[in-house]
Amino acid sequence: MIALRIGLAALFLMIAVTVQTSVLTNIAVAGVTCDLTLIVVIALALSRGPEWGAIAGFAGGLLLDVVPPADHTAGRWALSLAIAGYIAGLIRRETSGSPVGPLGVALTVVLGTAVSFFIYSATGSLLHDPSVDWGEFGVRLGIAAGYDVVGAIVVIPLVMWIMGRVQPARERRRVAP
Amino acid sequence: MLKDLGTPTTRSAFRSAGETPLRSAGTPRDVRRRRTVLVLVILACFTLIVLDARRSAGSPVEPLREAAAGVFGPLESTATSARQPVDNLRDRFAEMDRLKAENEKLKKDNEDLTRELTTSDYARNRAQELDKLLKVAPAFTMTPARVIGIGSAQTFSHTVTIDAGTADGVHTDMTVLNGTGLVGRVVRTTQGTATVLLIGDRNSTVGGRLNASMALGFVSGRGEVGGTLDYKLIDPKARPKVGDRIVTWGSSGNAPYVPGVPIGVVTSVTANEGSLGSTATVKPYVDPTRIDTVGVVTGPPARPPRPQITGKGN
Repeated sequence: MIALRIGLAALFLMIAVTVQTSVLTNIAVAGVTCDLTLIVVIALALSRGPEWGAIAGFAGGLLLDVVPPADHTAGRWALSLAIAGYIAGLIRRETSGSPVGPLGVALTVVLGTAVSFFIYSATGSLLHDPSVDWGEFGVRLGIAAGYDVVGAIVVIPLVMWIMGRVQPARERRRVAP
Repeated sequence: MLKDLGTPTTRSAFRSAGETPLRSAGTPRDVRRRRTVLVLVILACFTLIVLDARRSAGSPVEPLREAAAGVFGPLESTATSARQPVDNLRDRFAEMDRLKAENEKLKKDNEDLTRELTTSDYARNRAQELDKLLKVAPAFTMTPARVIGIGSAQTFSHTVTIDAGTADGVHTDMTVLNGTGLVGRVVRTTQGTATVLLIGDRNSTVGGRLNASMALGFVSGRGEVGGTLDYKLIDPKARPKVGDRIVTWGSSGNAPYVPGVPIGVVTSVTANEGSLGSTATVKPYVDPTRIDTVGVVTGPPARPPRPQITGKGN
């Protein structure tokens, strides 16, 4: 069961990275694409908790860091998504395993977008990457957050439903009394 | 809901051990394990960043990039072929319709400009100043390629992936162009894919020559989504004019940029504050958000650019 879950999570992340880099960029709004990988990481974190969030975030971010056309220092998205995933997992714990409401999911996505984009930009600044432009940060964050919520409406229920199907029986009992 | 996020471990652990246990926090062991995972992951990230930060040739992350490109190159390629529905969807947006119309107009303008460019200023100047022997755009060997991945604005970098790699003779520091002008240069290659740094990236600088006056200068990216460029002339007294066209002046050995490729047109000129000279804003001929088929210059002309006079010049 655990192997199946890990395999599914890896599959989700790979699909997300592929679609994000080659399909979603064609419907970018002002250059900003939907962070599908982040959404999948948040979905995994919401269904499995902070450890899963952090590790899935690390794996997904690492893919974003090394899959072309990435040309920045590897590890930046990994760090950003790992922390965003961890926080999303904590939010799930806060609501004690019961399904997080739609508003909660939307807020989590916005928070995750803000946290990950900020960490990505901040690490770029620390590494003296000349391409980081804080003047554009606010606008791009706003667009990205809105876009991610739209993407999350489709993706998060799907991922959480599939992950729920492969949940161990004892956890299912605890969640659904 | 978020109140516990910022508080340190001890509180939630303590609470859960107390008489009103928070359902959320889990047992202290859970909390400890969770923290350990977070710390390990963050350490792994920092290790990666430190290992890769120097961008030297021997970065241990390179094999990882190679492997990722090997797996995701074909995936991206497939996804790009399957994006027809997405394209249709995109076309429904009114904004996109407007852009499309504008693009049509620009394309037509560009064609006109390019034709004008090849026939008038550049050819005339070259012909006059360089004993009428240079051809405008020497016949370089080109390898066609398709864009299969585009960097998003969230990464701040303007890069695209193309589906040609070392197997097709594409190597780093090769010029990439399309029908309308200069796209960028190859910065990273693998077996089947290559990463192209667009001229609009802040890390990109191209030597550019003003068509009208033949003055030399440098075109650098601004990192904006539209790909707007800055142009600074070497000669501080020379002044670009609005409407002037800029072409590459080429690097030694034709790498990374071959000469004579149209870059863009000057849209405004501002005097530099506190120093001589002026900076021009350049609108690139190539719309960075609409790149699809590109050509990589994989070979120089038979001889450096002065073979015949039978070009389109006349």
